[in-house]
Amino acid sequence: MSWQTYVDEHLMCDIDGQGQHLAASAIVGHDGSPWAKSATFPQFKPEEINGIMKDFDEPGHLAPTGLHLGGVKYMVIQGEPGAVIRGKKGSGGITIKKTGQALVFGIYEEPVTPGQCNMVVERLGDYLVDQGL
Amino acid sequence: MEAAVVDAGSRLLKAGPAVPDQAPSMIIPNQMKRMPDEGSMNDSSSFEEIIVDPVVRGLIKDWDAMEDLLHHILYTGLGWEMGNEGQILFTDPLCTPKAVREQLVQLMFETFNISGFYASEQAVLSLYAVGRISGCTVDIGHGKIDIAPVIEGAVQHIASRRFEIGGIDLTKLLAEELGKSNPLVNIKMSDVEKIKEQYSCCADDELAYEKIKRSCQTEQHTLPDGQVITIGRERYTVGEALFQPSILGLEAHGIVEQLVRCISTVSSDNHRQLLENTVLCGGTASMTGFEERFQKEAGLCSSAVRPALIKAPEYMPENLTNYSAWVGGAILAKVVFPQNQHVTKADYDETGPSVVHRKCF
Repeated sequence: MSWQTYVDEHLMCDIDGQGQHLAASAIVGHDGSPWAKSATFPQFKPEEINGIMKDFDEPGHLAPTGLHLGGVKYMVIQGEPGAVIRGKKGSGGITIKKTGQALVFGIYEEPVTPGQCNMVVERLGDYLVDQGL
Repeated sequence: MEAAVVDAGSRLLKAGPAVPDQAPSMIIPNQMKRMPDEGSMNDSSSFEEIIVDPVVRGLIKDWDAMEDLLHHILYTGLGWEMGNEGQILFTDPLCTPKAVREQLVQLMFETFNISGFYASEQAVLSLYAVGRISGCTVDIGHGKIDIAPVIEGAVQHIASRRFEIGGIDLTKLLAEELGKSNPLVNIKMSDVEKIKEQYSCCADDELAYEKIKRSCQTEQHTLPDGQVITIGRERYTVGEALFQPSILGLEAHGIVEQLVRCISTVSSDNHRQLLENTVLCGGTASMTGFEERFQKEAGLCSSAVRPALIKAPEYMPENLTNYSAWVGGAILAKVVFPQNQHVTKADYDETGPSVVHRKCF
């Protein structure tokens, strides 16, 4: 199964059978190299990935400045230290789940709720962790 | 059927159906007595009644007692029927450990078999009750004081602070002070609680407090068992302890200064929004004179932006301070449950208790 299939079928899937999808998603290595991404996923910079990795190691690192991805600023909200970073931007936001070797990104807009985005991203992330990835 | 909203505090438990512009239908004290089983009683005529507090310093500690209490609330108080349980929204104090949240979800789905669950932090709910999504809450409860800045519905955990002092410590302080001025009278803690609620107040400012310490008019109060005690400046000591924690023996700043310090750790674009929308909540914050004193101290504090308190909307019930988290929960319940953003039984069965961290925040 290619990484792109993971993104297309498991992250950009239909949520709760209501015809809603995440706005964009991707699976990126810890070094910032993209493994697969959806068509609408923003172009991100290496410093942004470094900032994210640092926040996983030191929770609270991104809170004062905010989480930036592709030039877009998200306000950091409660995540799970070392495992999940969650950000909010207006009525949408982002969830980032850290696995053994990758970061799973999910960006959502209204009407998808933060809870739904979390379920999709974290479910795939947990699966990858179980597979040793 | 309407969702139930439960706000389990360290002293009082507020519960009721989710009707936002009313007070909760049940406001009951948390303290429970463990009754021994019939069969295990000895022949002695007096049996020991152990007093149990299921909620300590804001967090649920005794799960069996909590289960019994919830059983009483849901089936007797709210009139739920077994087999037809509805949806329930719980309030969490700040920095609730993940394990406590998971255990609560597990208890609700497995023992009570509810159909839907949601949990939200008390700080956010208190803001919803006054009609805001951003601001700072100062929650002065029985077991703890929480200061939490909230921006657009998300608590800034980095900046929030919890102090393990609360109404219970003020009660102990009052008991000591009364003991000193009325040495011959033996007062029970529960009576001290009532005296504290009835008499305690805040001086206008530090100078007024100093004046009162030297000379104060005293009042006579009759205890339920008939003894009479005099209460003088002790009533002001209790209120002052929140602004000068050295009275309680703590090396800490007063509450307004603590608030300003918490806010200073948040990024500065938000300072004005947070400080100008400050909400006081919790039972102890409804002390006579507390709000005025808070505003006065706010005018003197060391920050460029002065903390300003929000006035509660007119359609809200009186005494909103005491149960603002519950009212906020009722408001949130009206939004979350119809839109299916809560944790359903199916979600719980599929993912297990950790689903609460993903769906509820």
